[in-house]
Amino acid sequence: MDALRLMLELFLMPLVAFVIGLAMVLLMRRIGARLQRRVGPPLLQPLWDIIKLHGKETQTSHGLIHEIGIVMAIGGFVAAVTLIPVPGMNGLAEQGGLIALIYMMMIPSLGLALGVGQCANPNGSIGISRALTAMLAYDIPMVIVVFGIAFFFGSTNLVQIVEAQQAGGIATWGLVEMPLLAIAGLFAMQAMLGKQPFEIYIAPAEIATGPMVEMGGKFLGGLFIMQCFQLYTAGALYTLLFLGGGENWLTFLIKVFGVVAIPMTIAFLFPRYRTEDVVRLVWKWPAMIGLLGIAFLMY
Amino acid sequence: MTEVTKTPAAGDALPVKTGKRTNPLANVFDELVRFAQSRSLFMLHYCTGCGAIELPPAMTSRFDMERLGIQPMVSPRQADILLVTGYVSVKTLKRVILTYEQMNSPKYVIGICSCTVNGGMYWQSYATAKKLNDYMPVDIYIAGCMPRPEAVIAGLRGLIEDIRRGTADTWKDYYRRYDHYLGNQQRLFGEDWQTPTDVIAEARHYGLFGPGTLGERTALLERHQKPLEALEMKLDIPELMARRSGLGSKGRTEVK
Repeated sequence: MDALRLMLELFLMPLVAFVIGLAMVLLMRRIGARLQRRVGPPLLQPLWDIIKLHGKETQTSHGLIHEIGIVMAIGGFVAAVTLIPVPGMNGLAEQGGLIALIYMMMIPSLGLALGVGQCANPNGSIGISRALTAMLAYDIPMVIVVFGIAFFFGSTNLVQIVEAQQAGGIATWGLVEMPLLAIAGLFAMQAMLGKQPFEIYIAPAEIATGPMVEMGGKFLGGLFIMQCFQLYTAGALYTLLFLGGGENWLTFLIKVFGVVAIPMTIAFLFPRYRTEDVVRLVWKWPAMIGLLGIAFLMY
Repeated sequence: MTEVTKTPAAGDALPVKTGKRTNPLANVFDELVRFAQSRSLFMLHYCTGCGAIELPPAMTSRFDMERLGIQPMVSPRQADILLVTGYVSVKTLKRVILTYEQMNSPKYVIGICSCTVNGGMYWQSYATAKKLNDYMPVDIYIAGCMPRPEAVIAGLRGLIEDIRRGTADTWKDYYRRYDHYLGNQQRLFGEDWQTPTDVIAEARHYGLFGPGTLGERTALLERHQKPLEALEMKLDIPELMARRSGLGSKGRTEVK
């Protein structure tokens, strides 16, 4: 019975994540439209985009690794989603823990790098080298934040972390207990989602969307699906670490959407930094704030 | 999808499936895909002329194309619509054709401004391609010098309606009558004109062969076609090479 329940959860969790992710993509585009005083896309626009891209009649593949790279990009996030406990479903969260989750969230970038490498397009190579440099940049504050959380709760088990936060209401939320780490985490999340001002690896005007330059049809469709999972993973992870997870689906969804809306709102007001500036900025400010937060926790 | 095993001879008519499929569920599926295709259009604008100036108002807050599901994309691989805005000189036309052939089907071409229709005010120019649809199939022309954003939106709505009904399939025409289009291209660019995209192989692979895919013009292409080869990796900076060779010889002497 337990195995059956686990199978059901492993099937349902990515599905739920995908649907929520679609809504988040819509949220992102609507926020952008509102800030630019436009109407914005209709309700099911993200879904139509994905269906259309997979329904293309000619697909330009650049070889086997190109296709495997996309599968890795989606698969990494699907694996990550099963490690994130949501109300009513724990999936593999008990067994996996925070460190496995952070590890899984790096796989999509590596898969994308493999796939783009096979395309042999110079714009793509520049884009992916910038993307991996950005990953190196935001992973340092990310690891600092994760270390601080694990130190504070004395556990890397996400289920326990959430339970500890829900024990005393808002007063025991990570956000209240560790405000400096929460700020650093939000900063790192902005870079992790690749939103402006940390958007250099996509850079539509200069390097023609970077890693996505040779991706058409189902490959771009795969990346759109990946984006849905990416938004959900980032929002849910932040919610679990700092906002006490969700007591039920309603509060969980409110928190997750609220968290994702913050970087989106900031994003559309900014141009972008150069790669070296991103590294300098992210290694300086969020990393320093995070270290300061840990120092406050320890003494 | 029809599998084409033997190479069809010139003038051979191959069965290209058209119209509704017999399975009702497949029909529903086709309807869904067509609807999604009509509601989600990624637009690559090849801004060659003055018509491009009417696109920003059509995209931004006043007219907002995104509410129709149309958004700009920057790479031909991602795009569905190729928007040619303004006159196309002979040199530009080569790039437009390269771009068009790199796009994934179904793809649509929109010619904006009267210059793409008949050369417009460049009618007497020796360096301007007059009719865009001599060189690639065009779905919709939006005439005017320049058309207002309202006209652009109206044209795009027309295209959306065509796609939803399934009648916007001129992209198949490029495969089925490749000989005709290639002939017109060769007339401008010379006999040895070739593109990196192998249109005939694509037509063969996707079962899009038509009576006019092969002909005397494609025979001419095959005679002149050079196989594509990867570029040699080399650095052509004299100072750097000189320094490198200097270092190399020095290293060798040190080893001695």
